[in-house]
Amino acid sequence: MADATATIANEVQCAVRERRPFSIAATLKNKWFLYAVSITAFFGIWKYVDYTQVLGNGIAPPEAVVVQIFRLTGDTIAGKSLWGHIWASTYRVLIGFAIASAIAVPLGIIMALNRYVNAIVKPVFDLLKPMPPFAWISCAILWFGIDEPSKIFIIVVGTFVPCLLNSYMGIRLIEPQLYDVIRMLGGTRRDEILQVGFPAAFPAIFAGLQISVSIAWTCVLSAELVSARSGLGFIIIQGMQLSKPALVLAGMVVLAFVAWATTLLITGLEKILCPWKREAVVA
Amino acid sequence: METNHEDKIVCRNISKIFIQKGTQRVHVLDDISVNVKRNEFLVILGPGQSGKSTLLRIIAGLETPTTGEISLDGKEIEGPGADRGLVFQSYMLFPWKTVMGNVELGPKLRGIGKKERREIASHYIDLVGLKNFENHYPHQLSGGMKQRVGIARAYANNPELMLLDEPFGQLDAQTRYFMEKETARIWETERRTVLFVTNNIEEAIYLGDRIISLKGKLPGRMHQSYQVDLPRPREHLDMKFLELRHQITEASDLTL
Repeated sequence: MADATATIANEVQCAVRERRPFSIAATLKNKWFLYAVSITAFFGIWKYVDYTQVLGNGIAPPEAVVVQIFRLTGDTIAGKSLWGHIWASTYRVLIGFAIASAIAVPLGIIMALNRYVNAIVKPVFDLLKPMPPFAWISCAILWFGIDEPSKIFIIVVGTFVPCLLNSYMGIRLIEPQLYDVIRMLGGTRRDEILQVGFPAAFPAIFAGLQISVSIAWTCVLSAELVSARSGLGFIIIQGMQLSKPALVLAGMVVLAFVAWATTLLITGLEKILCPWKREAVVA
Repeated sequence: METNHEDKIVCRNISKIFIQKGTQRVHVLDDISVNVKRNEFLVILGPGQSGKSTLLRIIAGLETPTTGEISLDGKEIEGPGADRGLVFQSYMLFPWKTVMGNVELGPKLRGIGKKERREIASHYIDLVGLKNFENHYPHQLSGGMKQRVGIARAYANNPELMLLDEPFGQLDAQTRYFMEKETARIWETERRTVLFVTNNIEEAIYLGDRIISLKGKLPGRMHQSYQVDLPRPREHLDMKFLELRHQITEASDLTL
C-alpha cells in the first residue's frame, strides 16, 4: 500500500525566493531602490520649496530642522528638555489609551454577546459616536481644569469609540459555524465564548487598538495646542508664536517618530498574541 | 419505538420547516425515516437544495425537527454533543490553533490530561496521513489537508457516530478522488458508524454500504434506497459499479 503521506494533497505553500541576475532594469524595479528614490524626492521637493520661498518665511529647509532638533536636545523650553516634552505627551497618550481600552474592549465584547447590555449601551453610544473628541475640550477644561486630567479626558473620549466598535464587530463577525464546531466537540456556552469568541475577535481588537493609538496622538496634540505648558504640541505652538518654522517642523518630525514608536509597540504585541495571522503581502 | 439492537440511529417521520423573515415558511424536509445500523457507512445522496445538510444537522443536534423523532442508541437526541462528530464542508478549523491544537480540542474540553490527549491527537493525525504537520497553522495547509484535520478532529473525540457534510465539495477533482480513497482507508482502519452526505453518485457508490437518495427540490423526500454489495476497495470502472451508477443516475435528477 502506497505511503499515505506522499500525495498530491500534501502541498504546503512556501515562499520561494529566486536569485535573479543583476541588471539595470531589475534594479529600477526593486522595492528598496524605489523607496530610496521616493524619500530622496520628498526631501528634494521640500528643499526646493524652501529655496524658491514659495511659502515665504513659513517653511524651513530640512537642514535647519535637523539643526533645530539637535539644539532641542541640549536646550530647554519652558523648563523642560526635549525628552521631558516627549515624555509629557507620551505619558498622556499611554494613560488615556490604557483607560479607554481597558473599558471599551471588554464593553464591546459584552455588548456583542449579551443583547440586554447591547440594548442599554447602544443608543447612547450611537448618539455620541460621531462627535469629534475635540468638541469635548471646553467641557473638559470646565470640569477638570487646564492641567493633565482634561487632556487625558479628551484622549479617553477619542480612543474609546474605535476600540469599542472594533471589539464589538470582532465578535459579531465570527463565522457562526465555528460555534457549532465547539458544541459538537462537547463545549458549553462558556467554551463558546472563551475558546471561540475571544481568539476569533483578537485580530479585530488589535486593529481597533492600532486605530485608537493614532487617534490618541491626534487628541493629545489638539489638547496641547489649547492649553499646555509641556509636550510636543506645546513645542509646535511655541514655534508658531515665536515665528520659528524650524521649531514647528522639528516638533512635527519628533512627534511623527514617537507616534510611530507607539504603533510599533502595538504591532509587536499583536505578533506575540496572534502568531497565526497571515502576513499581508505588499509587493 | 421498537428498535433493533443493531440500529444506531433511528429517525422516524422527520420534517423540518424553517421560518424565515418572520412569516415565510420554508419546508425543507418531509417525512424522512431512516435507520442506520451500527458501523454502517450510510450515504445520503441528493442534488442541491434537497435538505440533506439539514437532515445531517438535525441528527447532529444543531437543529430540532419540526415533527418526528430521532434517537441514538435508543436515547432521544436533544442537542449537539461529543457523542457525534461532525465534519464540515468548509473545514471550519480554528485558525488560531495549530493542527495539534485543533485535533486535541475535543479531549481538552472533556478535561483529559495533556500527555494523554497529545497521544490521542497524534494517533489520529497520523491516521489521516498528516504526521509531520502537527505544528502547522491551518492557513499553511492545502484544502485536502485541512479537511483531513477536520476528520482527525472529529475522530479524536471518539464519537459514536461520524457525520460528514459534503466534506469534499470544495476540493478539486483529483484531490477529491484521493480523499475518497483516504476516507475508505481510515474507516476500514477504525470503524465507526458513518453518515455521509454528498451530491456525487460516484462518491456515494465508492464509499457507501447503503445509499439513500433524496428527491430533488424542496422539500426533500425519500426517494430510493440502494444496497451496495461490492467488495472493498472499490473500482470506479468495475462493471457492477458502473451498472449501479447507471441505475441511480437514471432514477434521479442528478448528473455526474
